[in-house]
Amino acid sequence: MLRVLSLFLVLMLYGASLAEVRVAGELGDVVLPAPPQRVVALEFSFVDALATLGVSPVGVADDGDAARVIDPIRAKLDEWTSLGSRSQPSLEVIASLNPDLIIADVERHAAVYEDLQRIAPTLILKSRGETYEDNLNAVMKVAQAFGQEEAMAERIAQHNAIMDAYAAQVNSNATVQFAVSSEKGVWLHGPRAYAGGVIARLGLNSPIPEETEQAYIQITLERLVQANPDYFLVGEYGDQTAVDTYKQNPLWSVITAVKNDHYVETDPRLWSLNRGMISAEIMAGELVEMLGTSTAAQ
Amino acid sequence: MTRWLPMSVTLMAILLVFAAWHLGFGAVNISPPELWQTLVHGQPDYEFILYGYRMPRLFIAALVGAALALSGLLVQGVVRNPLASPDILGVTGGASLAVVGFSIAWTGASVVWVPFVALAGGFASLGCLLWLARPVLNQPASLALVGVALSALFAAAIDFLLTMYPLEINSSLIWLTGSVWGRNWSHLPLIAPWLAVLIPVATFLAYRLDLLDLGDEAATSLGTRVGWLRLLALLTAVALASASVSVCGAISFVGLVAPHMARFLVGYRHLPLIPVCLLLGAILMVSADLFARILMPPIELPAGIVTAFIGAPYFVFLITRYKHW
Repeated sequence: MLRVLSLFLVLMLYGASLAEVRVAGELGDVVLPAPPQRVVALEFSFVDALATLGVSPVGVADDGDAARVIDPIRAKLDEWTSLGSRSQPSLEVIASLNPDLIIADVERHAAVYEDLQRIAPTLILKSRGETYEDNLNAVMKVAQAFGQEEAMAERIAQHNAIMDAYAAQVNSNATVQFAVSSEKGVWLHGPRAYAGGVIARLGLNSPIPEETEQAYIQITLERLVQANPDYFLVGEYGDQTAVDTYKQNPLWSVITAVKNDHYVETDPRLWSLNRGMISAEIMAGELVEMLGTSTAAQ
Repeated sequence: MTRWLPMSVTLMAILLVFAAWHLGFGAVNISPPELWQTLVHGQPDYEFILYGYRMPRLFIAALVGAALALSGLLVQGVVRNPLASPDILGVTGGASLAVVGFSIAWTGASVVWVPFVALAGGFASLGCLLWLARPVLNQPASLALVGVALSALFAAAIDFLLTMYPLEINSSLIWLTGSVWGRNWSHLPLIAPWLAVLIPVATFLAYRLDLLDLGDEAATSLGTRVGWLRLLALLTAVALASASVSVCGAISFVGLVAPHMARFLVGYRHLPLIPVCLLLGAILMVSADLFARILMPPIELPAGIVTAFIGAPYFVFLITRYKHW
């Protein structure tokens, strides 16, 4: 009932003024005659943004598994239809949902931008390999599409306050590194990556500050030892991954993080897939807790 | 000899069955009456899915499959080795390397350039092959070996680039596995004219390739200019392969398996082999794209993985029963 009422209010507000909304995407503007009602998101970062706006997407490219969106975000949303993988979303499923807005990733979906535009107005934004700041800009663009810039600006201000509060709790210049590990190898998320941005936002350091070209850096154990982070977080895709083979190696115990028992296994969905403010705040909480308990231990 | 006509008609019917299946099924199933409504009466419900999505893919898959199969037939005719295929000439590898190199060198470049870069890469690699193999041009087996070496070199270069620049090439990675995903009508002109020109060329070469089967000396004494024939057939094969790689990326096994299947069905004279081969290639590729979409919807697999999946067991079956070489 509340939903219907708020929908009605939104319609009143925007239908009355007949505000045509224009949002600048990465590859071109998108013009929306009315606030979208049926939205599909082709990357997880847009789901975070939509959850912040209180908009449930009708379809998400979730790699065929809705659980890849973290629980705190999923709890805010209705169930959606899976659109297949993020790298090759099924355009026929998107079309069958009759969306009135498609939010796509410029990195993955530039090749099908024209096709997507034939289905519905398409807002193409940065997502894969985006920085923390890129994400805040993209979130603002999503809010523009719904005519909710003010609400979003408020939410971003609130987010900044939360992050500042966490940053104030962190009294350390330790180096913190996040990595994902799969069967194929280990990738460090450098300063350019989203996780790197969150770490920097709290005033923590990166053990590889010079790696500013690529967001994700595939490494070997030797390079990890050279980077030598004080805290090392790893998100594993699978039970047995490359990082487990590192642990058998005598070099593993040389790493400062391992020596001081600051090696933490965490959720790759939170730290790598679900980029956005909701995730960033949970990540910041995890970081503060990790640093706090270890200082207490010392 | 007379078998090729009924065989072509049968294959055409099979292709039509797969085409109808391709149009009707996928992550969204369209029932036959609805399909009919949309196609004949222009009902708008499935307009995009049919005309904007499945139909261009159907045509592109069919044409690419046909082009790869014909390319394979010509290469096997010239090299006279049953294992010969467009892949071993290094064309696929060269085109792929060009695309990977291009997407790294121009990170922001538009994806519309990819097909042209691939085409240029394919022909550049043919140039490399002919230059490196110039002393052995008249020894098809040596030519094939140079091609294999070149492919291996290209594959190594691609692996190197993929490891050095993992992020920039995400979109080209999908292209590398060979996929019809994201192709639309704008890609059709990249393959259709090539076939329109090169099928007549292949038909023109057919009798001469039959003579080549008798051996170089016999062919020469029967009035064939063997050197020119070989070069022209190779150029045609490479153009066909490069054009298909430029649209769909590297699709394995179609160029290898389709000619074998065709010989199995209609013997080994080139003229009847051409239509049968074209149809078989189209059927293989259309069914591959169909299964790529319906095996685990809504997840789409790259068609190249499906052709390998269909092609590899069939190839093993052929080898165990093969008597035609």
